[in-house]
Amino acid sequence: MSDPLGQVFSALADESRRHVLGYLAEHGTATATELTGELPMTRQAVAKHLATLSDAGLVEGERLGRETRYRLTEAGAEWDDRLDALRQHLARRR
Amino acid sequence: MIRKEIVLDAPREEVWEALTDPERLEDWFANDVELDLRPGGGASFRWANGEERHAVVREVEPGERLAFDWEDEEGEVEFTLADDADGTRLTVVETSAAWSTALDVQASFSFGFSVARV
Repeated sequence: MSDPLGQVFSALADESRRHVLGYLAEHGTATATELTGELPMTRQAVAKHLATLSDAGLVEGERLGRETRYRLTEAGAEWDDRLDALRQHLARRR
Repeated sequence: MIRKEIVLDAPREEVWEALTDPERLEDWFANDVELDLRPGGGASFRWANGEERHAVVREVEPGERLAFDWEDEEGEVEFTLADDADGTRLTVVETSAAWSTALDVQASFSFGFSVARV
């Protein structure tokens, strides 16, 4: 990523993308299909906006079956999992 | 910046080994680990899903501190170990220009949004 700040601001410059963030802030998670039903946008537009938000690090998607569920990026969730794995690793060695 | 703290039921040397021995790292951190444990040394982590990340070791103080910089983005990770009554207190600090900005903006946005909805 050459210009992380620029990416964040251009991602936020679009009103539709702010609506997507607003929906996720309020509901926690959503799939592209759910967002299409809730916001006045086509599914293609929703998918494109989610990709832009994801590239900027504002949202992250988790693939569940045939759909990807998006949420606002949560700082540190990755480390919670890693440290938990470390704790289990140490317990196994005892 | 992300800061996480955990107290592990193991002596400091044991935790240090789990953090720095590639074979042990392969049991909890990534599936395939290469690590040249000295300042300037390289590290590679590969996961089963095909993800691969590279880092450069910045600081090594055996039993106390380990710091490395991710190569793929502007970010750094710092592990600090300290004795604790219940074992070892491990602190992880990760900083990344990309998400500190994204999260700050997002936090103020979420807050603004919920206020606007009241």
